Amino acid sequence: MSEPVGSLVPSGVERGPRLSFERERGVYSLLVTHDVAHCVVSIGQDEAQRTERNLHVFQMLTEAGIPILMIKLHRTAVSFGVAERFVERTAAVFDGTDFKIKTRHGLGMVAVKAASMRDVSGIMVDIADALYEADAQMYGTGDAHDTVQCLIDADRMDALVTQLRAVFHLEENAVQEHPLHQGVVA
Amino acid sequence: MKILVQKFGGTSVDRPEHRLLAARKVIKAREAGYCPVVVVSAIGRAGAPYATDTLVRVLHDIDPQVAPAPREMDMMMACGEIISTVVFAHTLHTLGHRAIALSGGQAGIITDPKFGDARIQEIRPQYLFRLLEEGYIPVVCGFQGVTEPTGADELSAITTLGRGGSDTTASALGAALRAEAVEIFTDVDGVKSADPDLVANARTLDVCTYAEVAEIAHQGAKVVHPRAAEIAMDHNIPLWVKSTFSDHPGTRIAGADAPSFVHNRVTGITHTGKIVYIRLEIESPIHKSRVEREVYRMMARAGISIYLVSFSPTALSFAVPRKDFPVARDLFDGMVVPIEHDPDEEGRVATFYIFKFSEGLDLAYSVQRPLLKSMERKIRIVDVPGSVIESCTMISVIASGHRNLPGVMAQIYTTLTRAGIAVYQTADSEMSVSCLIPESEVQRAVKLLHEQLFEQ
Repeated sequence: MSEPVGSLVPSGVERGPRLSFERERGVYSLLVTHDVAHCVVSIGQDEAQRTERNLHVFQMLTEAGIPILMIKLHRTAVSFGVAERFVERTAAVFDGTDFKIKTRHGLGMVAVKAASMRDVSGIMVDIADALYEADAQMYGTGDAHDTVQCLIDADRMDALVTQLRAVFHLEENAVQEHPLHQGVVA
Repeated sequence: MKILVQKFGGTSVDRPEHRLLAARKVIKAREAGYCPVVVVSAIGRAGAPYATDTLVRVLHDIDPQVAPAPREMDMMMACGEIISTVVFAHTLHTLGHRAIALSGGQAGIITDPKFGDARIQEIRPQYLFRLLEEGYIPVVCGFQGVTEPTGADELSAITTLGRGGSDTTASALGAALRAEAVEIFTDVDGVKSADPDLVANARTLDVCTYAEVAEIAHQGAKVVHPRAAEIAMDHNIPLWVKSTFSDHPGTRIAGADAPSFVHNRVTGITHTGKIVYIRLEIESPIHKSRVEREVYRMMARAGISIYLVSFSPTALSFAVPRKDFPVARDLFDGMVVPIEHDPDEEGRVATFYIFKFSEGLDLAYSVQRPLLKSMERKIRIVDVPGSVIESCTMISVIASGHRNLPGVMAQIYTTLTRAGIAVYQTADSEMSVSCLIPESEVQRAVKLLHEQLFEQ
């Protein structure tokens, strides 16, 4: 055979099957989770005790076998999300202790999924604008390299999904239900 | 034809003896009945004569004040892989094998025209198939492709794929060629349970899921780039991470055939990033969400990504990469967010929120604030004090299914805080739990968590 010589783009050959190789930059999916509650456990004002008090909260929840998510540390509180079916047990954990728990019921979580979220600036402002347009107040948030989670009133979820689909040009099939704590018994 | 894509990173091709070891892996695959397609990175890492960073510096050194054009920058960066490909192909040739060096374009890799961070749009594999049928070992430049000409009188331009580009090339070729597997060769035995530079007895995992390895890679471990893992996952191509320098079987990255035990387990400890954590006190619960939106908008305009976002009724906290912090600080210092509203009890029809950083970081604020004083009868002026924690990093425990396992956060938080390591903030997703800690504690934190989660 003669030594192969390639042009910059091979010509005279048929195109290969058109495969989609890489995910589009930016948002590609929305995950919707129903029946979530948000809890805020006050740990008191004493800064010196903050770490111990946080620890105590986590340990009590662990001993009660309650899975939590969207955990955030604040100066005087720990906040987290929990499946509605665990709310009663969560409240009972803090009964009779000096921790005060406030629970907000009737929430849902919308998670915005994007490829390499942390390499793309501006997704957060688009989400904030969508929340504003949907008149949805965010009670808790979480983020990872591929997700921003928004905890909002359940009755605003449809409106938020509509706004997010418009902002990120998503088809209907990009929205998926995402149950929480599958297989975990309350 | 059983095709095997084998990718060799910079440290696998940086010296003649390493290239020889890599070439033997290729020859071994061929002897086992495979048709190998080799993908190589540029030779060596920063400082090596043909490493990508060295080539980039040649352009920057001409005049550091003038940024090179993206198109020319991509042509320059592509040279490292071209040199490496030719050297590797010739190494195989000296060992008695017919090998041919191919640029990304010659291998049929077509990308979008985003120079420096192009995405593969199409691969035209016929030329590669022809070479394989004729008994050649194609050695393809990683990290690059070419644009599709848009007019009859236009030619393609060379593009580079951005971070993780060579891994991405390997996975995409694996998908286009319907390869039996893609092997990513590196200088470690496979995917580790922690950075082996920090934890000497870090384990090599036998098997990982695509999701786990994508998460590990996103959270800082440099084993295989998440773009490559995602392509392999989407096309169900078996992916292996192996060492060029040993015969260890490596780590298999599995899809639907992954054993069940991988779905609820701790996979590894990673650490990433030099981070600054910013906290803004926003007094008004009524206007807080609008002020927050302007914060997000300002960061987006400056091209700064924010993460570890947390808010309470009166505060907003988030992290930014340390390299971006000076820009973020300068933007926030003295920034005014005006919000119109109905007249309040004192007849003021708007509130101006003005951002102020403490500790001598408030030069613009200290100029702006007195200028607003004369307006205070008509407009309410509210300070938004900002504080920062510098020198942070993020440590992450990769734990699939942890949201079904009560106590993962408790275990992590206990381990770190009992050792006196401050945890400033946490974040959790389906696949990981992350903690923001002082950067100075990263080595100790990784070791402690590894001991706690893997060794006990």
